[in-house]
This record gives sequence, C-alpha cells and structure tokens, in this order.
Amino acid sequence: MIFKIEDVTVYFPYDNIYPEQYEYMVELKRALDAKGHCLLEMPTGTGKTIALLSLITSYRLSRPDSPIKLVYCTRTVHEMEKTLGELKLLHDYQVRHLGTQAKILALGLSSRKNLCVNTKVLAAENRDSVDAACRKRTASWVRALSTENPNVELCDFFENYEKAAENALLPPGVYTLEDLRAFGKNRGWCPYFLARHMIQFANVIVYSYQYLLDPKVAGFISKELQKESVVVFDEAHNIDNVCIEALSVSVRRVTLEGANRNLNKIRQEIDRFKATDAGRLRAEYNRLVEGLALRGDLSGGDQWLANPALPHDILKEAVPGNIRRAEHFVHVLRRLLQYLGVRLDTENVEKESPVSFVSSLNSQAGIEQKTLKFCYDRLQSLMLTLEITDTDEFLPIQTVCDFATLVGTYARGFSIIIEPYDERMPHIPDPILQLSCHDASLAIKPVFDRFQSVVITSGTLSPIDLYPRLLNFTPVVSRSFKMSMTRDCICPMVLTRGSDQLPVSTKFDMRSDPGVVRNYGKLLVEMVSIVPDGVVCFFVSYSYMDGIIATWNETGILKEIMQQKLVFIETQDVVETTLALDNYRRACDCGRGAVFFSVARGKVAEGIDFDRHYGRLVVMYGVPFQYTLSKILRARLEYLHDTFQIKEGDFLTFDALRQAAQCVGRVIRSKADYGMMIFADKRYSRHDKRSKLPGWILSHLRDAHLNLSTDMAIHIAREFLRKMAQPYDKAGTMGRKTLLTQEDLEKMAETGVQDMAY
Amino acid sequence: MSNQRKRSNDEREEEDDEDAEGIGEWERAYVDDRSWEELQEDESGLLRPIDNSAIYHAQYRRRLRMLSAAAAGTRIQKGLIRYLYIVIDFSRAAAEMDFRPSRMAIMAKHVEAFIREFFDQNPLSQIGLVSIKNGVAHTLTDLGGSPETHIKALMGKLEALGDSSLQNALELVHEHLNQVPSYGHREVLILYSALCTCDPGDIMETIQKCKKSKLRCSVIGLSAEMFICKHLCQETGGLYSVAVDEVHLKDLLLEHAPPPPAIAEFAIANLIKMGFPQRAAEGSMAICSCHKEVKIGAGYMCPRCKARVCDLPTECTICGLTLVSSPHLARSYHHLFPIAPFDEVPALSSLNDNRRKLGKSCFGCQQSLIGAGNKPVPCVTCRKCKHYFCLDCDIYIHESLHNCPGCESIHRPKSVSLMEE
Repeated sequence: MIFKIEDVTVYFPYDNIYPEQYEYMVELKRALDAKGHCLLEMPTGTGKTIALLSLITSYRLSRPDSPIKLVYCTRTVHEMEKTLGELKLLHDYQVRHLGTQAKILALGLSSRKNLCVNTKVLAAENRDSVDAACRKRTASWVRALSTENPNVELCDFFENYEKAAENALLPPGVYTLEDLRAFGKNRGWCPYFLARHMIQFANVIVYSYQYLLDPKVAGFISKELQKESVVVFDEAHNIDNVCIEALSVSVRRVTLEGANRNLNKIRQEIDRFKATDAGRLRAEYNRLVEGLALRGDLSGGDQWLANPALPHDILKEAVPGNIRRAEHFVHVLRRLLQYLGVRLDTENVEKESPVSFVSSLNSQAGIEQKTLKFCYDRLQSLMLTLEITDTDEFLPIQTVCDFATLVGTYARGFSIIIEPYDERMPHIPDPILQLSCHDASLAIKPVFDRFQSVVITSGTLSPIDLYPRLLNFTPVVSRSFKMSMTRDCICPMVLTRGSDQLPVSTKFDMRSDPGVVRNYGKLLVEMVSIVPDGVVCFFVSYSYMDGIIATWNETGILKEIMQQKLVFIETQDVVETTLALDNYRRACDCGRGAVFFSVARGKVAEGIDFDRHYGRLVVMYGVPFQYTLSKILRARLEYLHDTFQIKEGDFLTFDALRQAAQCVGRVIRSKADYGMMIFADKRYSRHDKRSKLPGWILSHLRDAHLNLSTDMAIHIAREFLRKMAQPYDKAGTMGRKTLLTQEDLEKMAETGVQDMAY
Repeated sequence: MSNQRKRSNDEREEEDDEDAEGIGEWERAYVDDRSWEELQEDESGLLRPIDNSAIYHAQYRRRLRMLSAAAAGTRIQKGLIRYLYIVIDFSRAAAEMDFRPSRMAIMAKHVEAFIREFFDQNPLSQIGLVSIKNGVAHTLTDLGGSPETHIKALMGKLEALGDSSLQNALELVHEHLNQVPSYGHREVLILYSALCTCDPGDIMETIQKCKKSKLRCSVIGLSAEMFICKHLCQETGGLYSVAVDEVHLKDLLLEHAPPPPAIAEFAIANLIKMGFPQRAAEGSMAICSCHKEVKIGAGYMCPRCKARVCDLPTECTICGLTLVSSPHLARSYHHLFPIAPFDEVPALSSLNDNRRKLGKSCFGCQQSLIGAGNKPVPCVTCRKCKHYFCLDCDIYIHESLHNCPGCESIHRPKSVSLMEE
C-alpha cells in the first residue's frame, strides 16, 4: 500500500498496516525532519523493523537532493539476516511501483568468519583465528613477498578483487550475507573486502553494534559514513551495557603471562629486523615523530586501527619520545607488565580511580600518563612494521595496551578494581584487575555527535525517560507505543502467594525458606498439568536455579513435573544448552510437552524466542536483580548517583525489571500468538516495581491479577487457554480495528492523527 | 440438565448443613461453578437468567452462512457413506473435575447423543469406538451401524487411568480403517482431554501415514490448544476445536454429524452395489449371522445370500453386500441439496408495512411475529417463496426438516425444477 505521511509518500509492502506501525512512522518522520535523535518503544511482533525500513527508505526517495544513508545496527547475525530479508521484500515492492529509480544498494557486513569464501581460511575454528588466517594471505608485505617467492600462499579471491580494483563494485540491490558470499564466489572476489569497500556507496548498511560502538573497530569500518546518516540501534534495551563493555578491560594472570611471551617474541623480531633491515625501523621512527594523524599513508591498504575515543588533538600530536624507538617501547611495556603483576599479588580488594592509578604507576614504574595514552596505537604501528600477521596470538599484549590507553585517556567515569578472588568462591585465588567503565555515554557519544539522527528502538525501553540520562543525550522524540490487539492474547499475572497462602519471594532472607521453594514447585506442578506444549521458567541466577532444582529433586516435585512434561535445563555450556533447546523444541512439536529451566540475563533469555507452542507460559521466579555485592556494580551505582543523580534503588529496579520484561517477552512474537506470563514474587505487586514494566504488558495486567495465589492463577490460566484456543477474526471487530487498509489511512489523514484509537 | 444441576445443588446444601467445617470445600464448588455469571439484573432489579437465545441464534446463522458460503462456489460433493472412528481419551486427565461431574462422564454423555444424531443424519454410515487408557488404545466396538451396541459398550466401564497416547490410537484406527472399501469416507474424531501424548515412536510418521490413507482426523480438545493436534488436523484436513464449556462441547460434537465435503481425490463418481433386504416375516425363526443367536422375527434377509441380519444398514457377513433400506438413502439425500439460508429481515419500522401485508405470523408455526408491546420479533425470510419465519422455525427447517414449507406449498412442479438447478 502507498500512503502519505505529511509530505512523504510511504511505500509499504503489505496491504494492511497496524495502527501502531503508522504511529511509529509518524513519530519517526518527525524525528528525521528535526534532524534529531529519538527513542521509540514498540512491542515485538508488531512489525517494528518493516515500519522503520519502509519509512526511512521512502523518506530518502522523497528527498532526492539530500540522500540519507541508513545504518542499521543489530545484536546478532540472525537478526541481521532477518532485517535484510524484510528489506528485500520492501525493495522489490518499491521497484515494482517506482521503477529503477527506487533501486538502492543495501548490504550486511559481518566478520570475516561469516563472509569468507576461502575454504582454507574458514577451516580455522574461531573468529580471531579466521582473521589471522586471512591476514596471513592478504597483508601487503606477504603479497610483496610472493612476487619473489611463489611458494607463499595467497588468497585468490583477494587477488582477483585487488586486480579488479576500482571496477570491483556491487550492482544495486539488497544483499544478505548469503548473497554476498554467492556473489563473491561467482565473481571470484573476496566478499569481505568488497563489502567493506562498498560501505561508502551503500544506501543501507546492516551490521553489528560493535562496528559503531567499539572504538577498536569503529574507526576503520565506519569512518567513511557521512553525517547525513540515520543510525538505528535495534533491540537496544541493553545498549548501555554494550557501551560499557566496549570500554571495559579485565586483566588476569594468564593475560600477563601471555603478554610477556608476546613481548619476547616482539623483541626477537626487532633483533632480527635490526640485523637485516634496520632502515624499516628508522622509517617508522620518523613517521612517529610526525604524528599519528599522518599514519594514513602507512604501507598502503592495510588497516590501521584508529581510536575514535581519543580526542582529536591527540591524533595530531607526535608520539612521545620515550616510546618512539621500538626497543624503548618494549621496555616500557615490560615495566607496565611488571607493575600490573605486582598489583595483582594483593591480598585485599582494592578500588582506585584512574587518576591515582596513573600517578602510582608514574612513581613506581616511571611511565607517565601521556605515554600510556599512546600504547595501543604504538603497538599497532609496531606490529605492522614487524609484519606480524598472527594477530590472534598477540591478543594478550593488545589487551594490556588497550587497558593502558583507556587508563591514560579517561580520568572520569572509570574505576580500577583489583580482586584477589571471586566473591562467591573465596578459597580459590583468581586475581583479576578490572578497568570498568561506568559511563555508557562515553562510547556512544561520538555516534551521537557524528550522525544526524540516531534511533534507539526496542520492545522494552521502560521507563523511557531513564535512557536519555544514562546515555546523556536529548531525544527530540521519545514515545512508547502500545500493541493493538484483536484479542487479549497476553495474560500477565502477579503471583504473590503459594497454595498455602504464604508469600513467595526470592528476597535474600526468604529464598532458602523451604516453604517458598515448595510453593514455587507446587505452582509449576499445577501449571504443567494445565498448560499444553512448552513452558519456560526463568530463575534469578544459576546458583539459585541449581539449588532449587536440587531441592525439588529431593522432595519429589521434579518427578511430578516429569509425569506431565519433560524437563530441560540451561547450563553455562553453549553446546549443551543448544542441544537442550533443540530437544525441548522437539518435545513441544511431538506433543510430549516440555519445561525449560533458564536463567534471566543468560543467553537464552536474551536471544532465543519461545514463540507459539514453544512457550505458552513463562514463569519468572523472583526479581532478577544484579548481584549487588559485586564491586563493579557498586562502583557504577556510585558513579551514576554522583554524576546523573540516578538513585541506586531506581537503577537496580529498572535493570531488574527490564530483564524480567525481556524474559517474559520471549513468549509473544506476533499478534497471532498468545501466552501467559507469571511473575512469581510478592515484590512485583508493589507499585514502584510494577510501574517499570513496559506499557504493553502493564495494559494487560488487570488489577484483579495483581495479588494471586496459586489456585487462583490456575483458574485464570485454564479460562485463558480455553478462550485463546477459539478461532478468531484477524482483522478485528468493529470496536477495535487493528488492521488498517489504505482507505482507513486516508480517512485518518483527513481527520488528523490525534483522533486515533489511543 | 438444569434439573440435574438443581438436584445436585440441593444435595450439596444438605451436606453443608451437616458439617460446617467444610467451608473451603463448598466455597470452591461454587467458585468453580460460577453460577452467578449466568444471571443478570433486569430493569426492576430482579435477577433472572441471561437470555442467550439471541446470541445462540446469531451463532447459528454464522455457522449456516459459513457452510453455504463453502457450498456456493461449486457444487460440493459430500461423502454420504462414512466410516467414522470415535476415539475417546480416558487417560488420567479425563478424571478432571472442571466439567461437572467429570470430563469422562460429560464426554460419554455427549458421545452418546452424538452417536444417535450421527445415525439419524447418516443412515448409510458406520461408527467404531476406540478408547485410550494407560497409554494404550483399545477397540471398544468395531465398525457397525447400530447405535445401541456402541452406546452399551461405551457406558460399560467408565474409568480414567494413566497416560494418553495419540500415536497408539492413530495406529490402531489406521489399521481398522485401511480395510474399509475405498468409496467410503474414512474419518476419525478424537475427544482429547490430556495435554500431552506419550508415544512409543515418531508421531509425525504416523500422521503422514494417516494422510496417505486419506483419514480425515478431527480433534476436540477439552482443555487447551495443543500443537500436535492442530498439526494433525491441518495435515489431514480435519477440524480442530477446543471446548469452552459443556454446551460448547455439545455444539462442537454435533458439528461433526453432517457429512463433510468430499476430499478432492475421492470426488470421482463411483457405483456401489447395494442390496435392499426384506424384513423377515413376523414369528419366523432363524439364526442371525451377526450375533450367531436364534431370533424370532425382527430381522432382515440379504437378497443375495438370504442370510439373516438384525440391523440395517450393515454389510452382509456372508457375501459382503452392503445392505440398506430405502428410507436410509432418502434421509441422506438432503445433504446434497441443502436449503439456502434465509435472509434476515432488518428490524426497521419502514419494513413493518411490508410485513403486515404478508401476514403477521410465522409461516411455519403460525405464531405472531409481533411481540409484546407491538415490537416486531426478529424474523427471517426465504429467498424463493418470500415467506416469513420466526427464529425457532428457521433453525427447525434448516436442521431437522430440510424442506422449506413455503416453497413446498406453492407450485409443486416449480419447486422441483428449482431444486434441480
């Protein structure tokens, strides 16, 4: 269908549109008009992605003089493929209606592991070794060497791509990763380098968060994007954590040992070069005198890892004299390693600010702040000069340099925490030195500054006013949309009491109470006997889950559950969990029925959908608060309180509730789906907790369902499941229109959007 | 039914008087019953049962329209000779009390009604009964045309035990139905009260096998929607529904009584050899071939081999001829020529004059169509003869009579020609 939103003609590939999709587009368009950032919350399963894509591409078409570029960031490769799939559909539709002028170039970019077509390189097992294997075949010095020595192995795909040079272009169209690989194989060009090259010409780029947020990769992947880009972060409810992780480094004893080995190797290399090719090292020295900004023309073509987290003036500065010479730099690193080693030997937990850490480093190891700042770049330069291609082997020293640079650069928003052992296992010495970032806005600031519009969107962004404070930006639009439904297809309940009317909770003083454990068990036993197919349970932590399952096993509750449904458990092992999930799905398919025990904040809670019969009921046992005794969390809370005036309790509840919402949101992935959600903890009935749930859950949470005991919940569940099993009318009845046709939209445009259903 | 309920309520009250401690128990009984939901307050504040007739009629109209809409496009062939297996799940879940007195009793009760209705509508068809108990499927009765034997076998022993297994039931039914002649329609109707199925093998294979043998499997669930049941019905072209309450269960069951549209592969015309046996003379003695018992009178003689059978329709056990009586054929006939649904008359006052001219009463039962306070009662009209009918007659004509009294009473030859259109 084709309709107008103000002055933009929107091409939408389906015949009907949900009212909230239309609203979403209107708000998004306003944000684009205002050239500002926006924050939009819309429940999953309402077609967020297609609404977003079709509005932005249509917006581009309506302003041919100032073409905007869409940068779409997803969390996983799977989501990337899904987005590109929808874009393909949309693109076909637009081309059908507008002809070739609507053609765009859209592509997904991922790591070499996902894009490489060279079978020998792909044989490597993980991402880093694939990268290294690729570099071994494509680095400029390796290729130079091969002209003299034909035995050096090269990558044909890369050679062909280089040969085609300027002519290596992708014709317009939408390319998923699979398409890119097929295209590359067909032409004999390397898809990875082709995709990276095409980024500057593409209209739509879909890639992972890291390419924008992680300073280590953002520099060379995303530096060519122009200001007139719209950046979209999809599923962005955890964006603050991604930002923080991008700037946090932890150093363990193994890291230091590895780094020492790396240094020895570098030392050997330097000696070798000195003997054979002393001129190279001298040339490097001269370059470093001129400053880092000029490094662009260094050994042409090889990427140089830039660091956008560094202020601009640093880049123009010359590298300090004491690390310009390779052997001096190695000495500095050795001293740094020694110092870190000493610090790791501590018996007590220590917490320090970067400023005092740097000053003590200066007094004890004689390394000053400015030197530290340049460590990362200096190391990269040295590795290029020494023609090191096994970058995966040198990860430890890179980590240490990364640490040094961050410590040297930021005085605020970080803290250094040294723990001699893990809190939960005090008898096993496992010293760890963590540089943890507390300020999510540091990593994302360059993105906000550089691009015209940044769109942050997800199914759960409640409370929506907290994100601007955490990320330190001012959105021009921030809205939360509700889901229009033909029927009440979600049924959230708050269970506060067990079948014996005693309160249930995972509060610290209550969690080990046998009565609570029994009540939780009884709830599940009753539920599995009335809920068909799949049931998912989320616990607050692995240790709590292990404990409760062990008790259930002893008291025979587990056996009772097994009579009705098979039980599968998530573990920290990815392979095991994948296998369990696979079998869980099979048990649901063949009608045996299954229960999946999982952990909030785990892999399953974040990325696996339990849609349709795979999840008819999700039980959230307890409120998934973070481990509040963690030193890092404490430090972050303190920082948030001092800098952004966010109260500790507020942040903790916000964080716990968004995890809970994320967990229960797994069951509903489309409007035709239905599912029940049970929040089994008495604390959910309190207003301060409940009000932080997203609006689309709250609007279905009836007052009568706020304080239930097990038997009442059973009764409600029975009724609900019967009601949902009845056939229903997709378009909605007259009172609640949930699918709009073209005429409806035209009518709405006349009367004004404000009079809509809300 | 309402009498029964009242009686059980009375009994309960008496019990409560006797022991005052069981408060929780009696409370729960009422909570589960939710009898207050069936009441509403009228203008004067009196409580009276909700008048559901308008809603029921609307539901009925919708069903009728759906059926005729399906038939409107092309003339649909219907399978009049049906071989239906009813599978009843008597696993542990059937003992649940959410249907009063228990799911098991309710199922048995309505299956009984269904069997009678089924033979009324499909006199040429046969039914067999299978029950699931302890994870094993048992044959209660083989295919046969006598409602009494089925009902007797069904009511024999009602108990709910163990797990349920859909696959075992399907395998058993598949084995039975694979032997029936190809002109008959093979159907399975499963009443499933459990929410899981413990199968010995891969049920997906069994479903594919059923699909290949053209078994039409329909499932009526008693508690919630199950994926595997839905999948089974989708694959084999059956209906899947879940009963909300007892009344709904009855409706869902009865929906399966009229013959379903024929599956495309079966839609080729087929000639079937049938015998029309004569009723044996009163007082004549013979050994019947079905029960191997000596019977006096009452029985039919196969026209080909002269064997004696007790009930019609059936298959002669000696020569295998299908034995029917002509009224059976006639009774099946109406499925092929259903009467078109009547149009609803909009309750506008302008139409009142028009209606008055034609008469103020229903053509079927002669009751006045103008109710209390001169308000017109909702009514319908036949498209062909333009006579008005009240809602009760509408349902009666479409569901029982299968002839429009209006059309039949005008020109006889014309209506015949209309029917043959």
